[in-house]
Amino acid sequence: MSVLDQLNGGGIYLICGSIVAFIAAVCVIFMVRAWHAGKALGMDVTRMKRAVTASATFSVLPSVGILLGVIALSGSLGVPWPWLRLSVIGALHYETQVADAAAEQLGVSLGSGQMTAQAFPTIALLMSICIMWGMILSALFNKKYLHRLQQGGKTETRKGGGFGDKAMTAMFIGMVSAYIGSYVGGWISGSGRLFSFSGSWTPLAVVFASALVMAVFTYFSEKKGMAWLDNFSIAGSMLIGMLAAALIGQ
Amino acid sequence: MNDMQKQSSYEAYLKSTHRIGRIVSAITLVLLVGAPFAIGTLLGAAPDLGETARAFLSVGLVWTVSSVVEFLVYTPMLGAGGSYLAFITGNLINMKIPCAMNAKELVDAKSGTAENEVIATLSIATSSLVTILVLALGVVLLIPLQPVLQSPVLAPAFANVVPALFGAMAYKYYRKDPLLSLVPLCAMIVLFTLVPSLTSSTSFMIIPSGALAILLAWLKYRKEKKGAAAE
Repeated sequence: MSVLDQLNGGGIYLICGSIVAFIAAVCVIFMVRAWHAGKALGMDVTRMKRAVTASATFSVLPSVGILLGVIALSGSLGVPWPWLRLSVIGALHYETQVADAAAEQLGVSLGSGQMTAQAFPTIALLMSICIMWGMILSALFNKKYLHRLQQGGKTETRKGGGFGDKAMTAMFIGMVSAYIGSYVGGWISGSGRLFSFSGSWTPLAVVFASALVMAVFTYFSEKKGMAWLDNFSIAGSMLIGMLAAALIGQ
Repeated sequence: MNDMQKQSSYEAYLKSTHRIGRIVSAITLVLLVGAPFAIGTLLGAAPDLGETARAFLSVGLVWTVSSVVEFLVYTPMLGAGGSYLAFITGNLINMKIPCAMNAKELVDAKSGTAENEVIATLSIATSSLVTILVLALGVVLLIPLQPVLQSPVLAPAFANVVPALFGAMAYKYYRKDPLLSLVPLCAMIVLFTLVPSLTSSTSFMIIPSGALAILLAWLKYRKEKKGAAAE
């Protein structure tokens, strides 16, 4: 039995499925409570229904985009774990990058057939730990933070302007640069021989293909008023980039 | 119900929302951290805590900073119930935040009001349930496709998930500041070309690359601020 078969085993489906079911139950509880609270406050039921309907329709397309992310990760991590991660707490760009960093640390690759049963639990743990801080902060400080904002009369958050947003963008630019730099360096000085150009150029070709598709998505989204395409931009670009790798590999 | 009764009912709702929110966040945390151990038992291998700690130091810090910023920025937008749920269910920027904002605008709920609290919670809960449903249906459909997904033809595709992600992200982030992007990119290309052994520690290189980009962004921000003050 291959590692991937093990990762797609019934036991792992059961573990991941139970957690997803728990989160679904939490959502239902919050929804029912909010509905009753709204009615007690005298809110118009039609408006609440409208909010629910609009949110449901709004979420269908992004959810399909997230499903494409599950497909993208399923070749290396199996289906149940990406299903859990992307149903709960995660986001595609985060999951892929953290899984890859953890795999690198363990000396394995996310590539198909390269995962080991020893490496997977460590990769899965790191994926859980790295992104749990928002939930921890929320559990510890949500009440205090909201109370402080209300006392200060602040009802809306800052949008842009501060250095925080710029620092976040810069941080992601740095992260992307490190990875792309490694693909270029790996090609130019492949197998540890400086300027031998003997490394694989496939990752670079995938980067270009994926970036190009992202540019096309952005063009149609921004210039042609097709904003709904944003829901598929990352997952769609990734899938076409991966398709390029499959074509090069033939 | 008069206004005072409404107010006290809303305060009781908020109080219990915080209590339930904290409890379910704690349970989710235990489940998510516990799952790799449970899966490890099935696979016959426990997570390596030392490697996890080392990998966290390289890649986790970036996401920790990101989590703090997300908490500070999004909590006021979503209110109590909405933010507990959003931080549990994830996919904030690409779905939950725009979804809640859309619902809020649609019913014209004002930020910081009881109405906004209710609408944001309804919106995030609905959105999360839709995602859970779509993904569950998708996963059921994926099971018969397993042999195809594991075929050797598709092996190079799955071996290049990460370059595919960074290609898309590169376009998304580089276009925000192309000049600033050029410096860390060139620096990393030179470094990885001259020291090829670094390719096995790419995730560690995020730290100097990110620091360089943030430093440049800070210098640019300070210059712009000074320029604006001088006008």
